Order: sequence, then C-alpha cells, then structure tokens
Amino acid sequence: MSYRIPIGPYHPALEEPYKLELICDGETVRDAVMHIGFNFRGIEYLAERRNYLQAITLVERVCGICSNVHSLSFCQAVEQLNGAAPPERALYIRVILSELERLHSHFLWAGIAAKLIGFKTVFMACFTLREDVMDALSAISGNRVNYGMNCIGGVNRDIANPQAVLNILDQMERGITHTIIPIFLEDKTVESRCKGVGILTREQAQAMGAVGPLARASGVSQDIRKAAPYAVYDRFEFNVPVETAGDVRARLSVHALEMIESCRILRQALTSLPEGPIHTTPPTGARFKVPAGTAISRAEAPRGEVVYQVTSNGTDIPERVRVRTPTFMNMATVRFTVIGQELSDSPLIQASCDPCYSCTDR
Amino acid sequence: MATDTVDFENTLQEIGFGDGWKWDKGSWWLVSPEPNDVRETSRKMRELEARFVAITAIERPDKEIRLDYQWDLQGKLLSFICATSAGQMPTIADLSPAADWVEREIHEYFAVDFTGRTSTDPLMTRPGDPLGINLHTEAAK
Repeated sequence: MSYRIPIGPYHPALEEPYKLELICDGETVRDAVMHIGFNFRGIEYLAERRNYLQAITLVERVCGICSNVHSLSFCQAVEQLNGAAPPERALYIRVILSELERLHSHFLWAGIAAKLIGFKTVFMACFTLREDVMDALSAISGNRVNYGMNCIGGVNRDIANPQAVLNILDQMERGITHTIIPIFLEDKTVESRCKGVGILTREQAQAMGAVGPLARASGVSQDIRKAAPYAVYDRFEFNVPVETAGDVRARLSVHALEMIESCRILRQALTSLPEGPIHTTPPTGARFKVPAGTAISRAEAPRGEVVYQVTSNGTDIPERVRVRTPTFMNMATVRFTVIGQELSDSPLIQASCDPCYSCTDR
Repeated sequence: MATDTVDFENTLQEIGFGDGWKWDKGSWWLVSPEPNDVRETSRKMRELEARFVAITAIERPDKEIRLDYQWDLQGKLLSFICATSAGQMPTIADLSPAADWVEREIHEYFAVDFTGRTSTDPLMTRPGDPLGINLHTEAAK
C-alpha cells in the first residue's frame, strides 16, 4: 500500500521551509514532489525599483549564509558595464571574504550533516569552528551575516591586520584536519550511514544542471573559480576535490576537502596581500548612472555557481537584475536522490544537498 | 589570438549561426529572431555536453519578452537571445530537464506561455495567484 507523506513546509526534519511530498511503499520512497516558494520575497522585482547603490544592500540579503557572494556578483556585473576595475588589493580582499564565507557555510553544513548522522558532539565541534570563522569575518567587516564589504569598484573596508586572520586560520586548519576530516572520511559509523545512500549519478547531475559540491560529488568537476576565474583566483594554487560515487559520503568528502583548499587559498591571499587602495572612487550619490547594456557575472558560492545578469538602460536604476542561485538548480535533484531510499534517510539525503531556500526563493 | 580561443570559436561554429556569436561583458551572445531556433540550439548544446545555466526574461517595450538562454560550454558562458511571439515560446524542458523550474518561474513572473509542456504548475506562487507579477503593467497596479 502506498502512502503520501507530506513533510514541511515547517517540520523538524527540515532545516528550512520547503515542502516535500514523499510517496512511499512501506519504508521505501517511490517518488517525491518538491514545493518551494515559502521564502519568496520578490528580490529581483525590488532590485529593479532601487538605484544601483541600494540594490547592493538588497541583493546581499538574498541569503543569510552566502550574503557576500551576492553583492560580489552584482558589483562585478555593474563593474563590467561601467568599466570600474577594482584595484588589486580589493580583489584579494574579495577572495579572502569569499573563502571565509565558504568555510563558515561548509562548517554549518558539516554540523547539520553530523547531527543528522547522529554525531551531536561533532555538530558542536563544527559550530565551535564556525564561530572562529564568524569572528574573523566580524573582525574584518564589523558584521557576522551581511558584511557590507563590496562596492562598485572595490571593497568598503580594508583588512588592517592579516596576521590576526592567519592566526585564526591556523586554529581552523587544526580543527579541520584533526576533527572534520578523520570523522567524515575515516569513521566506520559515518561510512555505514552514508555510503551508497542518496545517489545522484553523473548523468542526472548533468541533466539537471547541478552545480557546486553536489555536482562535484557526482563527478561533474566544474568549479567557476578554476573554469572562469574572477577576482584574482587565477593567481592561487588550489585543487578542486571531485568524487564519483554521488552518494552522501561523496558529498561529505567533497565538502571536507574543500575546507582544506579554502584554507590554502586564504593563506596565499593573506600572505601576498598587495599594498594599495581598496577601491576606485566609489559612487556615493543616488544619481549614479550606469551605461546602457547587459553584463553577466558568475562566482563560485559555497553551494556552487551564482549567476547575476544586470541590464542597464543608462539610468540610475537597473532595468533587470536576474539572480540564478545554486540551490535553484540543485534542489530539483532531490527527487532522484530519495527515490528507492529508506524514508528515515530522507532528511540526511536532503541536507547533504546543502539546500538554501532563501537563495532559491529570493 | 590564443589557441584555446580559436578552438572554442570552432566549437561555436558547430552550434551554428556562422559568425553570429559575439563576446561581450561576461558571455558569448547570439541573437536569433526565430523562436524555433531555441529548441534546435538546446539540442545541440546537450549534444556538446553544455550545462544549462539559466533563462533570463526581460520585458521589451513592445510587451514581448526577451529570453536569454544561458549555457556553460567548456567554462565559457553562451547566451542565446530570442523573443517571445505573442507571449509564447517553445519549451526546452523536454530536451533539458534543468530548464523545467526556470520555465515555470518565468511563466509566473512574466506570463510567458511555454508551448509543448504537459503542465506548468506554479513554482514560487500558489494555484490561483495572478500570472505576470514582475510585468511593468502588474507593478503599476
């Protein structure tokens, strides 16, 4: 006998508001229907009714986890339109903020994954490490969530003391190598809980346009930092971890190894931070006009590729601001990952896709 | 011209449209006046293992909707531009399942009718909500 089990939009098994209807035979999931839109705020619509400077603040609020990548991508698109190339130091600071943001997002994800696996002590360890990253972000920007760092033509605040961030980085690296990596990659309980669970094949990932760690855990190797480098990513040595199994364990592995790579990028950027200004003269007035045209900017957010398309009609208000977030592409893959799985595994499988519904719904 | 640029331009020739592709501000762009080209281009993109990225809808003064179909091919972004005809555009969701949610979203925001779909269930809004909520005419209400 088939059962239709509605989960969400507000449910203890979900970390965010969305609704998943699971069609089950006994304990086995036979199909799934996803409903989203519970966080819909009309941000694209609103951005087309604000001036460019107000829109930076607005798009940073698309997401409370990867806020920086949204303002970064928007500013990069506008910079292409008005030719305001940011100075070197600003580009380095953008990379540093982006990698700190990736680390805190991955720690958050790792903590939730640990909790769902049944390792509540690891959840606490992950969130303790995340606090270190939040402290670093707060020390740089003065904020813990919406950093307000990006402006058109550079960044708003300098990193006055790179050594202080390097000290925090040492601490984080120890935590990653001593706690996260051994548990997620070597622990037998984690392996038995995650191996072969929630598989997304390479073909499915490609067909659904999946991006980021989810796609890379299924053998799709693209990372925008390597494939289409922005800021100064092409100056740093780092690897893009890729797994082929496509299961929850592969996603754990990719996320954990990406943390190490983020630390590598941060160390290189912080030790080679060039002297100089942090922005071209930034626009300050409400009548800041942008030449007519269309530009597209892409960046690798913690969950994968973010795309901003900005169309200007030559006024101070954008004609069109298009925001394509990674989870918008990734979340439709959940249907494939839960079919044939145990009902009790579905929360872990969903969480392993690292969903962000503020991003998805905008 | 760098070798990889020449190689990529040869790949663009495989997609078609001669020298129509132009690089500008973050993407290769191609404008096509023919809505049916959207399906043919999508088919070729899938054959070339390009990744579907997005469709961006922009309202035009004549009330038709410009649709920018974006694909990632070998790390390069390709934008294929085509406008609706009488508010309609052939679906590509059957050729590229990744486009399903995007088409549903554009249907809600800009009232574009993607022809050939078996259904266009609401994605962000709820059944019975008005269509075209991002159109200038709706915003003026």
